Formats: sequence, structure tokens, C-alpha cells
Amino acid sequence: MFLAIKEILHNKTRYLLVVFTVFLISYMVFFLTSLAVGLARENRTAVDQWDAKTVVVSSYANKSMVVSTIPQKQYQQYTDDKNVAEVGQMTVVSQLKNSSEKINTNVFGVDWKSYISPKLTAGRLPKTNHEVVVDDALKNDSIKLNSQIKINGSDKYYKVVGITKNNSFFAVPVIFSNMDTFRELKYGSSQIKNISALVIRNNKKINKSGLTQITIKDLVNHIPGYTAQVLVFSFMIIAMVIITFLIIGIFMYIITIQKISLYGVMRAQGIRTARIIESLFYQILVLTATGAGLALVFMGVTQFFLPKTVPFYSDWLAYGVLTLAIIVMALLGGSLSMRRVLKIDPLSAIEGE
Amino acid sequence: MNLVEMINVNRQYGSGRTLVEALHPTNFSLNSGEFIGIYGPSGSGKTTFLTILGLLQSPTQGKIFVNGRDMTKMTSREKTDLRFNKFGFVLQASNLIPFLTVKEQFKVVDKFTTSRRRKMNQNELLNLLDLQDVAHNYPSSLSGGERQRAAIARALYNNPDIILADEPTASLDSSRAEQVVQFLANIAHESQKGVIMITHDTRLLAATDHVYEMRDGFLRQQN
Ligand SMILES: Nc1ncnc2c1ncn2[C@@H]1O[C@H](COP(=O)(O)OP(=O)(O)O)[C@@H](O)[C@H]1O
Ligand SMILES: [Mg+2]
Repeated sequence: MFLAIKEILHNKTRYLLVVFTVFLISYMVFFLTSLAVGLARENRTAVDQWDAKTVVVSSYANKSMVVSTIPQKQYQQYTDDKNVAEVGQMTVVSQLKNSSEKINTNVFGVDWKSYISPKLTAGRLPKTNHEVVVDDALKNDSIKLNSQIKINGSDKYYKVVGITKNNSFFAVPVIFSNMDTFRELKYGSSQIKNISALVIRNNKKINKSGLTQITIKDLVNHIPGYTAQVLVFSFMIIAMVIITFLIIGIFMYIITIQKISLYGVMRAQGIRTARIIESLFYQILVLTATGAGLALVFMGVTQFFLPKTVPFYSDWLAYGVLTLAIIVMALLGGSLSMRRVLKIDPLSAIEGE
Repeated sequence: MNLVEMINVNRQYGSGRTLVEALHPTNFSLNSGEFIGIYGPSGSGKTTFLTILGLLQSPTQGKIFVNGRDMTKMTSREKTDLRFNKFGFVLQASNLIPFLTVKEQFKVVDKFTTSRRRKMNQNELLNLLDLQDVAHNYPSSLSGGERQRAAIARALYNNPDIILADEPTASLDSSRAEQVVQFLANIAHESQKGVIMITHDTRLLAATDHVYEMRDGFLRQQN
């Protein structure tokens, strides 16, 4: 639109301020979103990797896998089913050989032949009780292929023979072991045949006293802290998007008020109000799209400068949706000025002297 | 041909004790090819008269016909379009858009024009008003006289039937003022337009066909 663009170019500072404001808000929205998604993912990627439908935990566990324990007699009747996999979960502290640094991790005990056995990006699956597969995020703590690690202060060392990726649970990376190793770590003996949960990938229904079947969504929502985190971030992001509405609305309102006599001139010349309103909204569209676009570019750059340990995940789909939301909010903000524009009297062109 | 006609039009401002009759009931008509001059002291109602005639504000009472159509029966949008297509305003305050160069002021007309009427030639118009050198300047960098001439050029570009000029020579020196008035006279006579010019410099009235005096809201024809 000719008028809209000409005006922006002629009043660069004024409109750059608007672009800059939108840029700042968008950048913060995107940054918060990246952190929220990053954190959420660290809580759940290991669960997402299963690609399962439901999970069975002990009834007393209140849907939390972290505290669930299922004794053998309650689950053994399901072990032959290929669509049901046993998993053992334990939160542990790991330590690299010759290092005093303690690293928070999970141990997931799995059957290497089950469908929840980790997908390897390097190395091989373990063959003995002293071999494990680790998530590649542990490389930030120098744990790599062939590293020797202690788990929960064990006397023995476990050797890393395989690497997997995107396996994080409860905000810490996962170490995969076989069931025997898991049982030794958690219950002190491989003879105590407990597991934490059954993971089911088909529509099988399990109805047994002492066991509760929950959806994956339910499981994730009951990871301690997860729901609270997601809520806090969501509220912050929504609040910022709504603030866009107010800031752009007020900005454009002030600019509109300053232009009343100019609009009077245009009306006196016989330019329709609809054209003026069109121009107003076109300007908002151009300004916010530019601001948000710049923020997107900066987001792309930001991820290269952040330490790897920051839970930051570039979710371009979410950015896209939020960009749209910001633009829509800004356009809604423009409607605050619409009433003023509609009321403009061509006579104000004359009263301007 | 009759272009605009006012029948018993008056305009009051305020009410009760603050009531001002800015324009007493007035009959007036403008024909094509006619150049009319109006003079009178400040506050006598000249601008009020001109803006009612130009559909920029409504009369308190009375009827106005544009090309035989009763404007009191028109919607505000119809009036806006009529203003765009039939009227050219040269207002006391600058009626230029500040963020457009002189040439771009014409472009607005090109963009928004709804009728297919022939427009004036831009370069001819700029030459005529001696604006060639400042064609790409913004209004803020023009002298008062240049701005006024640019406003006239803008008003004429649309090739309107009616040109309403409210003190178009106020910021011009006397030789330039005479040129502008002569130009308006030529437009009226050669292109068969109706031109009304308000001024308080009675020397400029020599070029007009008819002169009216406005005093205390009463419009009286002088010749
Ligand atoms: N919008 C308005 N509200 C109230 N009074 C007005 C308004 N416009 C003009 N007037 C009054 O109407 C009278 C005529 O004004 P105007 O037409 O501007 O005179 P002129 O153009 O001859 O100087 C003046 O007394 C002026 O104060
Ligand atoms: Mg006046």
C-alpha cells in the first residue's frame, strides 16, 4: 500500500520504535517458548521414544512412574506379549572414572530385545551386566563411548558400549542397562524381579487389582514438576502475546491522534475512510511482521551462542504460530484507533491553522 | 451550466446564549466558466460558506444541489466521492500530505481515483505553477509560496469541475499572487470550470467575473 509505506519511510524513527518494540516482545516470546519446549522435552523425550499408547504402574504410585514398583507375580502373565514391554526406572547419580563430578541421570532397565530398547546412533547393544548405553547429552559431562562410569557409588565400573539420542526423562539423561543391572542397582539383587512399569504400544487393556493403566499423556503430566513448569511458561507466553495487543494498540493510537489533521486533509481531498483504515492496518501488519521476522532471525542466531546445557529447543512450528498470534494481537490493537479514524471530520483540515 | 446551487442555506454554531449565525440564509449559484471572488473581514463567515458549498460540512438549514442532485439526501460516502471527483480544494492551511513529494501528491489521486475522467497533465501543471524544480521535494522543504502553488496543482490535477480556494494567495508576494489569480481566471474561462476564490486583498478581485462581499454572515453581490 502506497500511502502506508510512504508514511513509514518518511517517519523512520517513529516507526522503527514500533518495529523495535515488536522485535523485543517477539524475541522474548520465542526465547521463553524455546526454554519451555526444551525443558518439557528433557522431561519426556525418553517416553516419547517408546511411541507407546499406555503405561501400567502400581496403583499406589499415583500415576508417577518414579515411585511405581510392580512385583513379578503381578506382571508375569503379560511378559510374552510383544506389545508389552517391561521397564525399570531409577533416578541415580553417575560418576566418570577418575572424576569427582557427580552427574544426575536415570537408569532405565530394559530387555534389549523389546521394542523399547534404545535406538543406537553409535556403538552396539550391551552383552554383559557391566555394559550400558547412554544418551549422547552426557557427552557434555565427558561421558562417551568406552567411558567407564560408576552408578550410585557402585564398586564396579560400567562400560559405555552404545550411544543413543533424545533419551531424557525427568529433566536428566537416561542410561540404559539390562533388567539385572537395574535390579541390582535399585533393589540390591537381580533376584528381586520387580519392574517400574509396563509399556503398551497397542490398545490392550489391563485390568488387575493393584495396577493402574494410564495414557502416555497422563504419565508425562505426572512427572513431578512437569505440569507446573508447562503452566508457568504458558502463562508467561500468553501474557506477553496479550501485552503485544496493548502496546501496539497504544502506540498506534498515539500515532493516530497525532495524525488527525493529516487525516482531515485526506478526507477533505475525498479519500475514503476505508482507505485510511486500510492503510492503518497495513502499516501494523508490515511493522509487526518486520519486528517478528527480525526476532526469528535472531532466534536462529541465538541457539549457536547458548551453552549446550541450557534446555533450549528451537520449535519453528511454535514460533510460526506465535508470530501469527502476535500479528493478530497487533491488528486487534489497531482497532483501538479505528473509532478515532472513523470520527475524523474533513473540516479538521481547515481548523488545523 | 449550473454547477452548484445553494437555496436558503444557513449555518449556526453553538446554541442558546452562545449561538452564532455564521451564515445567514443565503442563495447562491455557480456556473461553469465563472470566476467568483469573495472578500470580507476575518470572522465574517467566508470559510463557513465555502466549506458548506464544498460539502465539507452540512448546513443547519437549506438545500444544496450539485449538478442538480440534492446533497442533503446523500450518504457521507457519496459526498466523499463527490468531493474527490468534482471538487478541488485549495485550503487556507496546507492541504498537502506531508510524507509525499509534490509529484507523489498526484499519485494519490491516480491510486484512489474511481471515475474515468481525464486528469491534467502532470508536467504541464508543474510547469504552469513553476514547480518543476521542486517536484521531488516534500512539503516541509518548500517555501510558503511553493507550498501554496503545489496545493493548487494538487487541486487541479483531478480536473475537477469546481475549484474552491480559501485565501490561496495569503502566503505569496504580490506579483506571484497576481500570477496565481490570473491562472485561476484562465482555468475558469478556458476550461469552463467554476472557480471561487476567497481573499481579503481587494486588488486581486480585478480578474474575477463577479465579486461578493461577506459581512457578519450576509453574502452580498457587488457586481
Ligand atoms: N466550528 C466552529 N464552531 C463554532 N464557531 C465557529 C466554528 N467555525 C467558525 N465559527 C464562527 O463562525 C464565524 C465565521 O467564521 P469563518 O467562516 O471561519 O470566518 P472567515 O473565514 O470569514 O474568517 C466566526 O464567528 C467563527 O468564530
Ligand atoms: Mg477563513
